Amino acid sequence: MKKKIAITLNGERVAVEAPAHRLLLDLLRDEIGLTGTKEGCGTGDCGACTVLLNGKPVNSCLILAGELDGADIVTIEGLKLGSEFHPLQQAFIQDGGAQCGYCTPGMLMMSKALLDENPDPTEEEIRFALSGNLCRCTGYVKIVQAVRDAAAALRAARAAAGGQER
Amino acid sequence: MALPEPQNPRLAYVGKPVTRVDVDDKVTGDAIYGYDLVLPNMLYGKALFSTRAHARIKRIHTEKARQYPGVVAVITGADAPWTHGESIKDKPFLAQGKVRYIGEPVAAVAAVDEDTAQAAVGLIEVEYEDLPAYFSAEEACKPGAVAIHEDFASYRKAEFIVGSSLPNVCEHFKLRTGDVEQGFRESDLILEERYSVPTIQHAAMEPHSAHAQLDPETGKLTVWVANDAPFRALHEISEALNLPREKIRLINPLQGGGFGSKGGLKVEPIAIALAYHTGGRPVRVKFNREESFISTITRHEAVIYIKSGVKKDGTLLARQMTIFWGAGAYAEKSPTVCIRGSLPAPGPYRIPHVKVDGYAVYTNKPVSGAFRGYGIPQGAWACEQHMDEIALRLGMDARELRLKNIFVDGDLSYWGEQLHSVGLKETLIKATDAIDWGKPKPPGVGRGFACISKPTRTPTTSSAAVLLDAKGEVTVLAGTVEIGQGCNTILSQIAAEELRVPVEKVRMHPLDTDVIPFDASTTSSRSTYHMGNAVRRAAIKAREELAEIARPMLEAEKGEIDVADGKVYLKNDPQVSLPLGQVIRRKFGADGVLRADASYTYEIGKDLDLETGHSDHASAFYMYATQAAEVKVDEETGKVKLLRIAAAHDVGKAINPLNCVAQIEGGLAMGIGAALHEELVIDDTGKVRNPSFLDYHLVTALDLPQMIPIIVECPEPEGPYGAKGLGEPGLAPTPAAIGNAVADAIGSRIYELPLTPERVYWAIQRKKKKAAA
Repeated sequence: MKKKIAITLNGERVAVEAPAHRLLLDLLRDEIGLTGTKEGCGTGDCGACTVLLNGKPVNSCLILAGELDGADIVTIEGLKLGSEFHPLQQAFIQDGGAQCGYCTPGMLMMSKALLDENPDPTEEEIRFALSGNLCRCTGYVKIVQAVRDAAAALRAARAAAGGQER
Repeated sequence: MALPEPQNPRLAYVGKPVTRVDVDDKVTGDAIYGYDLVLPNMLYGKALFSTRAHARIKRIHTEKARQYPGVVAVITGADAPWTHGESIKDKPFLAQGKVRYIGEPVAAVAAVDEDTAQAAVGLIEVEYEDLPAYFSAEEACKPGAVAIHEDFASYRKAEFIVGSSLPNVCEHFKLRTGDVEQGFRESDLILEERYSVPTIQHAAMEPHSAHAQLDPETGKLTVWVANDAPFRALHEISEALNLPREKIRLINPLQGGGFGSKGGLKVEPIAIALAYHTGGRPVRVKFNREESFISTITRHEAVIYIKSGVKKDGTLLARQMTIFWGAGAYAEKSPTVCIRGSLPAPGPYRIPHVKVDGYAVYTNKPVSGAFRGYGIPQGAWACEQHMDEIALRLGMDARELRLKNIFVDGDLSYWGEQLHSVGLKETLIKATDAIDWGKPKPPGVGRGFACISKPTRTPTTSSAAVLLDAKGEVTVLAGTVEIGQGCNTILSQIAAEELRVPVEKVRMHPLDTDVIPFDASTTSSRSTYHMGNAVRRAAIKAREELAEIARPMLEAEKGEIDVADGKVYLKNDPQVSLPLGQVIRRKFGADGVLRADASYTYEIGKDLDLETGHSDHASAFYMYATQAAEVKVDEETGKVKLLRIAAAHDVGKAINPLNCVAQIEGGLAMGIGAALHEELVIDDTGKVRNPSFLDYHLVTALDLPQMIPIIVECPEPEGPYGAKGLGEPGLAPTPAAIGNAVADAIGSRIYELPLTPERVYWAIQRKKKKAAA
């Protein structure tokens, strides 16, 4: 039986009808047509499908549609700031943080969750935060570097904005 | 013959750390992978997989599935009477009469949605009658073993399949150089050992999928699949279906990693077989992670016997190796893995007497196939640890032993080829220096290294076209598949270099076999060299044609004109110039396009001699590498902590140094996983016990040590700007380097992979017991 679900998706109100057992991952990809969120395992082991649910990172393959009414969801498609790349995206581009790119959306969303909580993480903290996001291409070096660089850019931007306010 | 170096010796784009050209779509989620692709009016396919390792199929009951609402087609082997295989046509699209491994596709369903297809698959019942099964290559080829392929003799095969008197052997590779018995007689030390490597899996982050559609009116079959060798796949489909090549079209969506797992035909046969029963509707078959683990391919498990004879001073005299490659249930790429993995298995050393026998052996395990490294990691695991054991027994420094014997320029290899552009020694010195080889180390710390050389698939061809429009935009048509390795960036740099336009002006055309010129495959680290040469030639041709068109416009003589920065100009008076677009419009009109085509084939040399394994040019080029590891072992738990690992790779010329470093780091991570924890565990019924990321452990961001990538450039004259290849060797020496470091730390050798704490713990106990006795 289908259930009516109203969510906020990437800042916009969206109403969908789906069976309560539909996974958030499939809801996004199949019902809504946002395929930026990737399926790597479907069992919560690889992090490729990471999205932000009410601000927290989740494996969207482990979340049921029935739990979602009223939820706020941000996916990779909502990461850009208007037409500009988010500093995390910019850093992944510049540092070579993506190779095949399949884990990249999940990596970016997990990194965003980290930097929202902790604007100045150590390398160890970054590695710990990303340890549930598997990548088979990069050896993680450039991903970790990109998160550090993005954190620095975000801090600099915040400092500049703060300076202006004063 | 080598191409002339560009007239401007200062390269503008080649050799620079250019940002990846394909990355913007990858960070926004806009990139469409095979797994993401939705086609209009699409059906959803699911397969039923064998639950028996080796059994006769008595009956398949499909009635309930056919009646299930929403089901469009239910098919079995009887509905898809085709077999395929790259060098041996042994694999049915769907099981024919019997199954040979757990995970073999037996039946398939197409339905209106995924849930319906899955539910219907669950309604299919198969009656099996079990047959004797083999789970070890050595056991399966013992005289008297039951044949897993009763009809092997009648299969269609490539000419290099030589057969064997032993049962279940699908390929026997022989290398015969000198007389090993004489070599052993003349030696001061003879060492004989046995090493083994377990099955591992590629585990590319994107699982496998394929879409297929048969046009009922034209009979044309279109397959959308992220295949790493679309033209080879097209050929294989054409042969299997007996369908002319022009009736088949492959379109490549983006590939989320492959590492060898997405060449040949994996999920394609299921999608194609279903497409013949859907009345023209396209059908998509996606494997989930478990299905990708059990029903695509794995890396060859191998058992390696190695025996060497050396002089007291460390001079290698003789080496004999017997290698059993576990092919799994179907031949797939086993014959060529057996050939190209066994050939250089004795290591990159001068050895006068060599004998190698490589056997690719059918078993009732999941199919083995191409995996990054293509047989080199298995040989290196044995050979490089064996070299350290020889050094130990001779009381010689392991690096001194290598330096005494390693290939250098001008050496005649044991397969009969005179070597050139050998950067091995430089990689050896740089990698070992980077971990302070020979310097004092703290207790519990060990150091080790391993050297390799790797051939590439030879002979092969790449073709390319370069299009130049009146706006000065460049489009490159090349059949190299962007699997994450960065080929689109490398090829864009080469086109930009030769046409002297910014890289941003170059676009790689999407891959579609109806449009794109032929390319052999995106495998074997062959693309930078072969396709790089093809694109470079096409771009030079376009540049020359531009100059020719502009000659009357500039009133110049031949050779007086050059192209740069979007302009065609006089060499001796660059102020006299025309915009590139104006030149193109002159000849082709406002919306005209200049097209230049070129091919590159490495055609020197002969095929390997089937009796001796010799060839004067076995490979278009060779890749050389040394990796050196430093570890600390916890004596109480056996846990290995990697402290640092250096990887020096001879790439010929780094077209993009940033990309080279990325390839080395990624290769190292994969090699470290293979060294320390990766194993696809297959039990004594043939069932994979860990087909998930929960139980099959890939390295995470937390597991990696300091990595020290080192680029060595020993130019290959025939390569574009001197380039060789890089992708495959990245993981090849890693387990052996770590194995040597662990042996150095604990004073005891481990012959099996992975180096789990348990295995290391027991090796420490063996050492202690020995010391006590």
